[in-house]
Amino acid sequence: MTAEKTTGKDTEEQVGGAVQDAAAAEGTPLVELSDVSKLYGNIRALEGVSLPVHAGRITCVLGDNGAGKSTLIKIIAGLHQHDSGSFRINGEETRLGSPREALDRGIATVYQDLAVVPLMPVWRNFFLGSEPVKGRGPFSRLDVDRMRRTTHSELLRMGIDLRDVDQPIGTLSGGERQCVAIARAVYFGAKVLVLDEPTAALGVKQSGVVLKYVAAARDAGLGVVLITHNPHHAYLVGDRFVLLKRGAMAGSHRKEELALDELTRQMSGGSELEQLSHELERAPVPQHLE
Amino acid sequence: MSRLERFRGKRAGARAGRAAVAGLLAAAIPLAGCSSTGGKRAEEERNAAVGGEAAVGTPRWKIAMVSHSGEGDTFWDIVQSGAEDAARKDNIEFLYSHDDEAGRQAQLVQSAVDKKVDGLIVSLAKPDAMKGVLKKAAKAGIPVVTVNSGQDESRKFGALAHIGQDEVLAGEAVGRELNDRGRKKAVCVLHEQGNVGHEERCRGIRETFDGKVRNLHVDGTNMPSVESSLEAELQSDGGIDSVVTLGAPFAPTAVKAAEGAGSKAEIDTFDLNDQVVTGLKDGSLGFAVDQQPYLQGYEAVDLLWLHRYNADMLGGGKPVLTGPQILTKKDAPTLQKYTKRGTR
Amino acid sequence: MTATPTPTPTPEPAGTAPSEAPEKDRTDERLVHRSLLSRLMGRPELGAVVGAVAVFVFFSFAAESFLRASSLSTVLYASSTIGIMAVPVALLMIGGEFDLSTGVMVTSSSLISSMFSYQMTANVWVGVGVSLLLTLGIGFFNGYLLVRTKLPSFIITLGTFLMLTGLNLGLTKLISGTVSTKGIGDMEGFASAQALFASELSVGSVQIQVTVVWWLALVAVATWILLRTRAGNWIFAVGGGQDTARAVGVPVARTKICLYLGVALGAWISGQHLLFNYDVVQSGEGVGNELIYIAAAVIGGCLLTGGYGSAVGAAVGALIFGMTSKGIVYAQWEPDWFKFFLGAMLLIATLLNAYIRKRAEANR
Repeated sequence: MTAEKTTGKDTEEQVGGAVQDAAAAEGTPLVELSDVSKLYGNIRALEGVSLPVHAGRITCVLGDNGAGKSTLIKIIAGLHQHDSGSFRINGEETRLGSPREALDRGIATVYQDLAVVPLMPVWRNFFLGSEPVKGRGPFSRLDVDRMRRTTHSELLRMGIDLRDVDQPIGTLSGGERQCVAIARAVYFGAKVLVLDEPTAALGVKQSGVVLKYVAAARDAGLGVVLITHNPHHAYLVGDRFVLLKRGAMAGSHRKEELALDELTRQMSGGSELEQLSHELERAPVPQHLE
Repeated sequence: MSRLERFRGKRAGARAGRAAVAGLLAAAIPLAGCSSTGGKRAEEERNAAVGGEAAVGTPRWKIAMVSHSGEGDTFWDIVQSGAEDAARKDNIEFLYSHDDEAGRQAQLVQSAVDKKVDGLIVSLAKPDAMKGVLKKAAKAGIPVVTVNSGQDESRKFGALAHIGQDEVLAGEAVGRELNDRGRKKAVCVLHEQGNVGHEERCRGIRETFDGKVRNLHVDGTNMPSVESSLEAELQSDGGIDSVVTLGAPFAPTAVKAAEGAGSKAEIDTFDLNDQVVTGLKDGSLGFAVDQQPYLQGYEAVDLLWLHRYNADMLGGGKPVLTGPQILTKKDAPTLQKYTKRGTR
Repeated sequence: MTATPTPTPTPEPAGTAPSEAPEKDRTDERLVHRSLLSRLMGRPELGAVVGAVAVFVFFSFAAESFLRASSLSTVLYASSTIGIMAVPVALLMIGGEFDLSTGVMVTSSSLISSMFSYQMTANVWVGVGVSLLLTLGIGFFNGYLLVRTKLPSFIITLGTFLMLTGLNLGLTKLISGTVSTKGIGDMEGFASAQALFASELSVGSVQIQVTVVWWLALVAVATWILLRTRAGNWIFAVGGGQDTARAVGVPVARTKICLYLGVALGAWISGQHLLFNYDVVQSGEGVGNELIYIAAAVIGGCLLTGGYGSAVGAAVGALIFGMTSKGIVYAQWEPDWFKFFLGAMLLIATLLNAYIRKRAEANR
């Protein structure tokens, strides 16, 4: 799969495609966090986290519950502001004031449980909040034909062939719903896609489907931040892995630096897990079970 | 005298409040298009201001009235103004409360007893619920007058007197009047389901009326529904030649319904209001049966005052009847003056 | 449900559990084009339409006078007085909110125009205009309080309901001196206002109340808004997923306030009808009607939880109410059972709706 070289900021920009050449480097990261910290009162939710997002690359953020993943997402999505460190969009120091501002700057966030409105038809969901209209004044009306057609063709482009865009989106599978949300973000010109646990509630097969569209979005030239606690999913598509632990960075690796089992080991608690398994082995058998 | 002044002050306060609200409305649209006909101005031109003050020298006694009226009931509104007028004349502090649910009405009576009022006026729509509290009132030595409903129980519960109309009697009077008018088939329109007095009125009609009577229940809080139900009734049976409504506000609606259904049925009603009198006058209504609610309120307060002042009694152990009185077109011109000011 | 799209095959994620078994056949099923029937089955108003036809057929046999043109006109009138409110209430419910103040708001609206005209001795049209502004104000109050406090609309409008009930009685008594308003039938502008709000139109030999026209117009406008405008999309979205809607940039607060304004507009129309049809308004009226409006919307296929329903459905729900309440009269039945009958209708219609929706979703 793709590999990258994170330090090559000065070389020419490169978008899309399955680039095998590890030496090839990207241009300025679309979004870059360096040494970012966030305080809630006097609780340090995030400390010294750095994260680059390049066009056509997938950066995975891994961590256990409470590791600071959601705080990180909220900063990128414009819901919260960081307290220290730098947050750059296209190299320019930024502080986002609202989710709307983030959207305007090309950062689209897809939340796991808030992706779509289940009872509404697929095409209405697809354009929700940015509906195209025709006619003017009191006769201004939804361009329904265009909405239907575009939805169908855009989903097709992402590899989802829906015969009927009129069905409530709730009748689609969880994976497909995530995919529609991703396709929507791509269609509305997102440059950076932030995905919050897109595979968390899904079965294995569905997860595969979603990861495929994540890869498709990457191939379309988007920078992707994939938040997950599943190292297997991350390893399948990721180019870079940022590990969080109790609000701090526990590591940032390029794919070629890291094997899957090492990632799994680090992710699932590393040495702590070994300790646990050690203890479990030595645990004395309770008497009543003998 | 100082009490009287305070009382007058209160009246002035209410008037000021009314003026303030009107002023507020006036301020809302300064350039309001004016109507040269009707409205407040016409009313003011019609009426000279009627003031009132105590005509007696007795101390300021306290009398409470607790009725089973629902919210915004036009009938009880008139009872109340009768009672208030009597209270003004007799220098009485008058307290009015009401609840259409029997249990809560009993609680209101209880709280009047707790206030140690000098007299109590109660309507007994659901007598059983009131038995206990009226006993307490008797124990506390508070004289009780029952009004409007409960003439059978009034004496049993130890009340001084009952002032009201016998509902069955009133119904019977209507039945006879319908016979005189040569009617054959009547509809009795009940606007409150489960109201015993209403059932009695219709029963009374059935007893004396030679023709057929059908009961029609309507939803009294929803005027369009009353209209359409009655229209439906008239359409479904073309033989209906008279409609009797049990409340004055429903009579004009019945007229509209008859028009809508293309029915020639005559509309008659219990109780009075301004629209009913207008209807009698222009012939859209046949007759009205009045039980003089103003008189019920006025007499009850006045009787309690007389009882306290002079140990007087009324009725000799029998109910004092304020109705039924059948009113027709020829009565209308006289009545109009009184309905307009809300005392008939 | 878990239909998988069939694009270029990708390798199964390595190192994970074996994939779930047979999903291939379901993939094929999905390719079948939805028939017209199943499209129809997906409409929210279908249950109501089936119910309405059933009630109609039932009373056609049970009451011989039911089928006359004049009777149907009466039924339509009864339905329209409910429907004028049921339609905006349905929109509000699709938007995920309730309004318990609708019944008394209608009375408030008519009291305002009547008393303003009378007390100011103004042309009644001025009163009608003032009433429109104040009624919209009440609606705005409901909506604004809702979006600001984030309290459940049930509580807020319960509060407004009680306050309005008290205000209707108290202010009427204070201003008019009695619990009903004074007649304004002899005032200027009354005739023209009556023509607009409470007249009858001759269609052939049948008299149709003008409220029926208002009702149908409202259904048309509401349907247009729901299905063909951005606002409609937002109404569905704020009802079906408020947080999602906010996340994609839908003005949630504005949408909800506008829905309450719509309800107030309906209350104004109904209120003016009440006034100009009867000349005098009883201040205690209207209590309890709010539940009828909600029931009509629910029979018409609106979900109580929001996000689903239609204006046409609510109108059909009102029609069912109108047919049932008047049908019982035409059939000359003992009316003691009327409420029971209505309650049973409501339950049956709702169950039918739920059943049909389930079938429709299974058919996809």
